[in-house]
This record gives sequence, C-alpha cells and structure tokens, in this order.
Amino acid sequence: MLISRQSYSYEMLRSELTWVVGDDNVQTDCSEKLAHSIDYYWVPEVWHDRGLKPQTPTFIVHPGSAEEVAEILKIANTHKIPVTPWGGGSGSQGGALPMYGGICLDTKRLNKVLEIDPVSLTVTAEAGIIMQHLEWEVQKAGFSTMHFPASIACATLGGFIAHRGTGVLSTRYGKIEDMIMSMEVVTPTGEIINTLPVPRHASGPDLAQVFLGSEGTLGVVTKATMKIHPLPAVRKFHAYLFSDLHSGMVAGEKLMARRLAPSVIRLYDHASTISIIKRVLGIERKGAYLVFGFDGEEDIVDLQMKKAVAICEETAVEDLGTEGGQTWWDQRYKFYYPPYTFQMPQAFGTLDTVATFANIENVYWSMKDAVKEHCPEANYIGHFSHWYDWGCMLYARFIIEKPPQDAAVAVALYNRIWDAAIRAAIKNGGVINEHHGVGLKLGRIMRDLYGPAFNVLEGIKKTLDPNNIMNPGKMGFQGV
Amino acid sequence: MNMEKYLDVINACRFCFMCRHLATLAAATGKEADTPRGHALIADRIRMDKAELSNPDYIRSIYQAELSGACRKHCVSSYNEVGLMLALRQDIVEAGLAPAAVSELAKEFMDVQFKVSGDGDMLYYPHPCIETHQPEIAKAFLSVVPNVKVVEGGDCGKVLQILGFVKESQAVAVRFQAAVKASGCKTIVVSNPAAYDFLKTDGAIDGITVLHSSEVLLKAQLGSAAKLGKLTFINSDFLRNYQDCHAPKELLAKLGCEVEGFGANCEDSYACGEGSMPGIRLFPELTRKMVAHVAGIAKRFQVEAIVTPSPFTKHALMTYAPELKVLAIEEVAAAAKL
Ligand SMILES: Cc1cc2nc3c(=O)[nH]c(=O)nc-3n(C[C@H](O)[C@H](O)[C@H](O)COP(=O)(O)OP(=O)(O)OC[C@H]3O[C@@H](n4cnc5c(N)ncnc54)[C@H](O)[C@@H]3O)c2cc1C
Ligand code: SF4
Repeated sequence: MLISRQSYSYEMLRSELTWVVGDDNVQTDCSEKLAHSIDYYWVPEVWHDRGLKPQTPTFIVHPGSAEEVAEILKIANTHKIPVTPWGGGSGSQGGALPMYGGICLDTKRLNKVLEIDPVSLTVTAEAGIIMQHLEWEVQKAGFSTMHFPASIACATLGGFIAHRGTGVLSTRYGKIEDMIMSMEVVTPTGEIINTLPVPRHASGPDLAQVFLGSEGTLGVVTKATMKIHPLPAVRKFHAYLFSDLHSGMVAGEKLMARRLAPSVIRLYDHASTISIIKRVLGIERKGAYLVFGFDGEEDIVDLQMKKAVAICEETAVEDLGTEGGQTWWDQRYKFYYPPYTFQMPQAFGTLDTVATFANIENVYWSMKDAVKEHCPEANYIGHFSHWYDWGCMLYARFIIEKPPQDAAVAVALYNRIWDAAIRAAIKNGGVINEHHGVGLKLGRIMRDLYGPAFNVLEGIKKTLDPNNIMNPGKMGFQGV
Repeated sequence: MNMEKYLDVINACRFCFMCRHLATLAAATGKEADTPRGHALIADRIRMDKAELSNPDYIRSIYQAELSGACRKHCVSSYNEVGLMLALRQDIVEAGLAPAAVSELAKEFMDVQFKVSGDGDMLYYPHPCIETHQPEIAKAFLSVVPNVKVVEGGDCGKVLQILGFVKESQAVAVRFQAAVKASGCKTIVVSNPAAYDFLKTDGAIDGITVLHSSEVLLKAQLGSAAKLGKLTFINSDFLRNYQDCHAPKELLAKLGCEVEGFGANCEDSYACGEGSMPGIRLFPELTRKMVAHVAGIAKRFQVEAIVTPSPFTKHALMTYAPELKVLAIEEVAAAAKL
C-alpha cells in the first residue's frame, strides 16, 4: 500500500511508529526527507542537479534496538508498507533509495560497540555504527578490523554486510563476508534471529551467507561480531611502472600465484595512470602503475617484499620504490574527495566486476568496447583492486564530461552504457559486481546472471518476506 | 544572496560523504540532514528556488547546525561548510525570515555596553560564553595573572554573528573596539575561544594583539598540576578547528599533567556545540543529546576528570551531565600556582 500524507492511515502509522521509537525518532520534515532521497547513485544526483525531486520516504525512523526494529517491521506488515533500510546512504546502486516511499529505516542509532574480546580477537557492534568509529574504538584497544574501504568515513557496518563490501587490504584480510563471525538479523516478519557463533562449521548451510549481500531485502542486520587483528609491527609498500596493462597484470598474477600473501595489490591502466595517479599522487608517468604492500612481523614482511620485488623487476620498466608505494597508501582516500573525485556535471559510473585471471583482461577490453560503442565521447579508465588466489576485481569507470542537459536523456544514455558494459562483462566470465552490490541499478540483470538459480533466491525472498515489505524492487526482486 | 559566495562548497559537499563521521550533531542525532552533505543539499534547493529559503524545516536545520568545523578541518580541500551555514543564516535574517526565538535571543545581545576596570598593560576579557555565570574561570585566571585591566559588559559580537545578524554584530564590535582602544592596552587576552576567533577575524581591532588565556598562562611562572591526577582533554572547536591554536595542550604538558585525549580519535569534536553557542538556548534538547553522546564516551573509557579550554563546553557538560568532573584550563593552571 502506498500512503499519501493527507490520510487516516498516514496518521495512524505515524502514531504507531512514535509509540515504538519515540517522537524524536520519527521524522517527516523536508530536510531529512531530502537527504534520504539521494544516495551515491548518479541518477538521483542528476535529478537533483537538474531541479527534479527524487522520491522521498514518507517516514524516516531511527530505531535504537533490535526489538524496536522488530516492532517497526511488524507494523509495516500490518499496513503493508515498504521498508527500506538506510545505513550511511553511501551505496552507489540506489539500494537505500525509498523507491516507493514508505518507511526509511535509518540504522545509525544502532551505533554501539558492545564487546571487544581480546582472547578470540573479535569485536561485537551494532550494525548502524559508522565503520571509522568502529575501527577507531578497536584501535584504541590495540587492534584493527583491517577493513579499510574508501567509504570508511560514511558507510555503516550493516551497509557493508548488506553489499558484501570490501576494503583496500582485502587480499590478505578478506572481504566483509570473510570478516564476519556471526550476525543478529531481524527478519521481515519481525523475528530476531542469530546466525551460528562461528563461521566454520558443518551444521548445515551457512545461514550468515544468506544475509551477507542481501541488501536489506531479507531483513535488517542489527548486530554483528567481526574478526579483529593485532596491529601489524610494520606495513610496507612498493610501486612499479609497467609498459602496459598486460605486463602489469602478469606480474600481479605471479605475486598471487606464488602465494606471497600481499595485503594489497592495485594495478592502474594507462588511462588511470596518466590521469588520476598524476592528479592525486603527483606521480607523472606513462604506462601502468602497480602498487603492492605487505604487513605483519618485520622479518617476514621483508622476505615477502624481497620476493615480490624480484618478480616485478623481471618486467617492470621503472622502479618507483617504497616512496611511490607509500604515497599511494597515505593518500588512498584522497581519490574520493572533491575535487579529486568525479562529480557533477560529469556523468560517471563504476563498472565493478570480478573474474578469474584467465578472463579478467577480456572483461576489461569488452567493457571498454561496449562503453565506446554506446558513447564514443566517454572516457574509460580502470584499475584492478582486490586480488584473490584465482582472479581479481576490475574497478572500471566511464566518465562523460558533458552529459546531455535533459535529465531523462542523460539517464537514458547512462543506463544504456551500464547495461551494455555489464552484459559484456558477464559474457566474458565476469559477474555483475564485486563489492558495490546490485540495488536498483542492476536488479534487472540478476535473472540473466543467475539463470534458473535465481528462482532459489526468489523462493527465499518469498518465504522470509511474504508481504514483500523489505526493500521491494531491489536486487532483481519484485517491486510494489 | 550571501550563500552564493559558497557555490563551490555547495557543489562539492552536496553529493560528498567523506566527512560524515565527524559531523558532530549527526553523531548525536543520527540525522542525515545534520551533515555537510545534508546542509549542502538544502542550500542547493534554496539556490535553485529562492522561495525555499522560507521553508521552516530548512530554516530549523540551518539554525540547528552546530558549526564545529571538524568536517572542514578534515576535508582534503577545506571546503568551508561552516561559512555556508553562516551565510544562509545571514540570508534568512536579511530576508526577515528569522524565527521569533532567534530574533528574541539576538535582541539580548544587541544592547551591550562595555566598561574597563583595573590596572595593567594587558586587557583581560573574561566573558565566558552565552551563559555568563562562570566566575570561577576569570577568578582562576586572575589568580595567576592579577595585574591586568578587565573589560566587561557582554558578548563582543560573536553571538550575533553566529545567529546571522551580521550588521548588528558589527555594531556591537565597534563599541567593543572603542572600549579596547580607550583602555590603552595593546594586547587583549580572552578565555572564551569564540571571542578569540571573532577578535582574530570579523571583529579584529587594528593594532591589537589577541591571545587566548592559555597562551598567556604558558608564559607564567607555574609549578606542577600533576596532583590533579589523570585528566582527559576536550578541545575547543574554535581553537582547534577554526584557529589552529594548540596552546592549551602545550600548557597542560608544561604543567606536568597526565593528559589523555578524549574519545577514540583526535578528529571528532566533543565540544557539545561550541561553534554555535546560542544553540544551547534555542535547541537545548540538541545540546543535551550532544552532551549525552560525550557522557556515554566518558563512561565507556572511564574518564575521571575532563579539562577543556572552552567555557561553553564546561557549561554544557555541567548542565546536562553534572556527574562529570570538568575543569577549565584556567583552573588547572591555578592549581599549579607556586
Ligand atoms: C566515496 C565512496 C567510496 C566508496 N568506497 C567503497 C569501498 O572502498 N568499498 C566498498 O565496499 N564500498 C565502497 N563504497 C560504496 C558504499 O560505501 C558501500 O556500498 C557500503 O556498503 C554502503 O554502506 P551504507 O551504510 O552507506 O549503506 P546504504 O547505502 O545506506 O545502504 C546500502 C544497502 O544496504 C541496505 N542496508 C543498509 N544497512 C542495512 C542493515 N543494517 N541491514 C540490512 N540492510 C541494510 C540498504 O537497504 C541498501 O540496500 C563507496 C562509496 C562512496 C560514497
Ligand atoms: S567538507 Fe569536504 S569532505 Fe565534507 S562534505 Fe564537503 S567536500 Fe566532502
């Protein structure tokens, strides 16, 4: 049911919500609605820029406990009102946008660190905590989550869980789905459940993995226990320049195949090297910039570094040294601040995908061809982050300096490029996404990606959420 | 409109999330509208449709902003998100749209007269904050630095500036300047970081040097304040984020105190809304929330005693969390008197 402001049910719903969370925690004012109508997805941004008004939620509700979340979901079921969880709103796929109005369930009051266990090396925290706040508290106790995404300042723990997010040290410490021990989840019908306390077991399928990446469509994550690590004795970096993408890729593959266990590898294509690496890091070179790093006990790190350096020396055209690598680490977030980041009036999209080493370069080139075919004036740049034993992630981007002024025309072009590029990636062995999620942007492609397996996901959704109240229309699931 | 001077800020902040972790009020309210991104989106709406300046929800958000400056300090390009909010307040006032509570509060600060008493080469301006009942701060300072003239009367224009009454703020500043000039002193020392900021910027007086009390106390002959035990330091937003003044920390080090920074990081503001001091009168429930946030952290980290160079922060903490022990930096210095 969609509700209009001037209606009995609007007032009834508002009353019920305030009974659960208090007057202060139900907002209907224009300021808060405006801020919750735009996330990091380019489409609401361009709408706003062109004077249009993206869909706002009817109510913004800030629960302070799992019990309150459960009550809110029960109310939403009674009234058949959509509920869209909102963490930091930093998702780039429109996942947190209240497409059908209804309740925007902002989790940021769930922001407490509950326990740091120095014996098992875990931290338990509420899911609405901003990741940087969690990391600071863990560091104060002498540890680190080792989760360092570029959005650490703005995204929540629950948001990362919902999108299977990742940080720069993923190659050693894993993505969020590798870091989580267990979770508390409120199901769409308002039951509070916990996944098993440890992630390695043989007690049936891993329920935690059902909720990891579920983007608020299967429930609200309210609490999680995460692994933490001792602060490393040293963290060292090194950078090289390769003549082209392929030779850099071969070096990166070798670092992984030799199982040297770097904490990070990042390879920038020529277009990125001559643009953003120059602009942000001040390193002015042609070719492909590769940086890698190790952390841990100094003697082990030095040995790992020695072997990695030897691999790169075989084919690199220039040794940019430890300084060329350390600069990257020190400035790793700077890429995302204005004016260094891409921003309006540009149109831009991060065509995030992941594939095996055998396929990843084909994915890169096929996406580039697709972008150029649909928009010859678009720039296409990419870097390869998040490396695994078997392959790596491609963080490709298209940038249109002067997109059409008419919002509808601009969005049509934007959608066309996305569609073509992602389909090209899938055709060449890529998947829709590595860590940004699916959301509203890519939902329509899910069925093609999964084939008949998507019916299994739909079955889970229907069982858990019979009234389809949780974030309808996202991740390829049915809308209202 | 004044806000149009900040178009670069609007364009940068409206879709940027990179300093949200330091948005002080948002940390206490959880609201998106209380972040620089939220503020810039509101400003952008007003830019596109001037009629939106009268939107009461937007006006409320604009006046609720706590102006800690923590986000601007963190920002790689130092976008002046504080300046944008002050410009919007000025626009609201100039358009005759200031809410009644704001206008009434402003009136209290317009009709001030200043008088100078005492003797000395330096002029001390003790006016502590929006609530003027913190005599212990001036008493502590004067016990260490007794030979000074004292200028009193009220706020020197900063509160009006914060409220967006810029012309009126300047009128008060002119009166204050006259009193300072008449004193014959070439140096004015202030305990209130808000006044320090104002007298260094919009209220600057030709030929007059402005010092914070901690800068003067640093030069005084003092012993050790170590007997006060472990102190946890909450900085002033005006000193750290606006003026880059680090004298309070240096003073504590010189006094041999065992000092720890408050909280888990050194970027957050814990000053409870010092940047927009009149907020304690306009939106006391928000100050209470910011204090509750700070008190929660104090409890978690088992803080024994807090020291701050911000009279406002001391006042806010003692009003809404009386269980906390809070000392002004002047009081710590007084405890080290030889
Ligand atoms: C500048 C910038 C840099 C970025 N860099 C990275 C990066 O390095 N790595 C990375 O992984 N991502 C990155 N992102 C993307 C974004 O931060 C992630 O997708 C993040 O996971 C979103 O978290 P959030 O709290 O902001 O969630 P939102 O954007 O608020 O929500 C995202 C989705 O999760 C759902 N959701 C949120 N909280 C919950 C919950 N508690 N329970 C159930 N569902 C929930 C929402 O309904 C929505 O579908 C970046 C974004 C920005 C703006
Ligand atoms: S102040 Fe800087 S970091 Fe904060 S929102 Fe604006 S541009 Fe982003």
